[in-house]
Amino acid sequence: MPPTAGWATLCALPGRDVEVIETRTLECEGCGAALQVAPSERTVVCPYCAAPSTIERPATRDRPDPTFTVGFVLDRERAAERARRWLRTSNPFARSAFRAATLDATRSVYLPAYLYGAVAHADYSASIGEHYQVVETYTTTDARGRTQVRRRTRTETEWRALSGRYASYVRDVVVTASRALPNAELHAVEPFDLRALRRYDPAMVSGWTSEEPSLGQQECLELGRQEAQASLEHELRRFMPGDTHRGLRYQPSLQDEVLDLVLLPLWIFAVRYDTAKEPVRIVVNGQTGKVAGKVPLSPIKIGLAIALLLALVVAFYLGAKP
Amino acid sequence: MTVGESTAASTCARCHTAIEAGDLRCAVCAQATPARQSAREERREVVVVRCDGCGAAVRYDERAQAPRCAFCGSVTHVEGVTDPMEAMDWQLHFTVAPEAAQASLQTWLGGLGWLRPSDLRQRARLEGLQPIWWAGWAFRARALVSWTADSNAGSRRADWAPHAGQTELDFDALLVPATRGLSSDETHALVGSYDLERGDARGQGPEGAFVEQFDVQRSAARQQIIAAAHAVARQRVTAEHVPGTRSRHVRTELVIRGLETRRCGLPAYILAYRYRDRVYRAVISGQHAGRVIGSAPYSWIKISLLAAAVATAALLLLTMR
Repeated sequence: MPPTAGWATLCALPGRDVEVIETRTLECEGCGAALQVAPSERTVVCPYCAAPSTIERPATRDRPDPTFTVGFVLDRERAAERARRWLRTSNPFARSAFRAATLDATRSVYLPAYLYGAVAHADYSASIGEHYQVVETYTTTDARGRTQVRRRTRTETEWRALSGRYASYVRDVVVTASRALPNAELHAVEPFDLRALRRYDPAMVSGWTSEEPSLGQQECLELGRQEAQASLEHELRRFMPGDTHRGLRYQPSLQDEVLDLVLLPLWIFAVRYDTAKEPVRIVVNGQTGKVAGKVPLSPIKIGLAIALLLALVVAFYLGAKP
Repeated sequence: MTVGESTAASTCARCHTAIEAGDLRCAVCAQATPARQSAREERREVVVVRCDGCGAAVRYDERAQAPRCAFCGSVTHVEGVTDPMEAMDWQLHFTVAPEAAQASLQTWLGGLGWLRPSDLRQRARLEGLQPIWWAGWAFRARALVSWTADSNAGSRRADWAPHAGQTELDFDALLVPATRGLSSDETHALVGSYDLERGDARGQGPEGAFVEQFDVQRSAARQQIIAAAHAVARQRVTAEHVPGTRSRHVRTELVIRGLETRRCGLPAYILAYRYRDRVYRAVISGQHAGRVIGSAPYSWIKISLLAAAVATAALLLLTMR
């Protein structure tokens, strides 16, 4: 088994083969021993003198030098405690074996990600609804058969076309730069407190596993643009005047785009709750302690809950009948 | 606004906002700032970070949240976001002398109107006069402002019609109060009375003038300044760009560029005067003697007489119908 297979196996998505990674041999600055370093790793600990080393490779377009780091705040014990608590409480319909499972493999990693920023422009158009009140009279017959004239107020909506231009800054969109952790899993443990950003320095990752970007910049740029556009739509909906609106259309344009490589702290745990199934990966935000993972649900618990709900509805219905 | 030399270290490459020492990213658009230039070392492929004190290898310590030497315990400094307390860097000169401030108070007391006591000016006794430099920010910027609003212009069946637009606005020498010693009414009355170019790093003023310290950190200051820019933009859009005579739901979004900020000491006098058995307060601008705001007593006899006269007139009108 290659020396880096532990991390790669832990991060591999279920159903996919682990990629065999070619390693390089470098000399430890501490004792001169030969170090096996995979191209995907930025740090290594010498097995002979335990000196932590950082590998500084020439920057390329798809592997730029990191700009920032967010340092770990949670140690292994606190991260494991957060993960165990999450196992017990994350979902009431989780399988019992999952809730009682123990944490298997544990790794810390500085995950490469990009901070995406841009200036967003949009030409938009929409129909804006302005409410107004209409008072109408109507006739009705009372219990004694007498005709009565009454008045009531009805709310109507007048629709008016509106078009215009919108511009805003897009800030702090975080997208993964690692094939090992998809964007959705990273978002599940966000946000990171970016007020704790530090300028990248090898000392910030020394002694910890740190991964090099494995997604190209163009791929990450597309991820950033998708998130920026989703956020732009949300902003535009709040920006519309009137009492309501419909038919919002917009043509976005993202300018002055920037990608800054940042290393984010994560604890990764593997939980094996069933020998016949793949272990579940649990990710813990190494700064805030937020936990996320895919919870295996129990069909029996869900079925019982639905049956109980139906029984309650029937009992309520029967009790309410005169 | 040309309030002396800028103290910014550089400007942001994207939005040209002034970057200050300790900023990792631009406060307006979040663009990364360039790293400090350090002596270029030959790029080594394998780096062991060593402690400056004992030479042992340094590892990042999550408990210290910094790289730390496991041998001697010393912590390595890594450049992070600096968020210092704000400190004054520009003090405007007092151009109103204390005697002129006293005279201005007398003039003000005499011009408050008929509802005040007739002997107010004669019997008011000055009990205290304190010159102060109160804390505030002066900023300038340009902004691309996108706006939407409802107004009565073009309305048909509904009372409102939607409007939208986009415009460039200049914010020049806008003052944002940061004082705890003056009320918002007082600062609002004073802000238009200052010449921001009449000052320097230390300011000239009377003996014993008190210098108020800022009590917010830089990050909070920037939030307040940007919020003030949004508020001013909304006011100006409502006044100058939204058509019609009434408006609602005015929404704005700003792309701010070229933000420059100065931490200012703004001169003023705080006066206390006694009339009968109560003490009242007044504040006078240190650069404009005519800019006075304060509290003053009312004559309840005159108010009662006026109320009686109005009631009598109303009664006569009703009986004549």
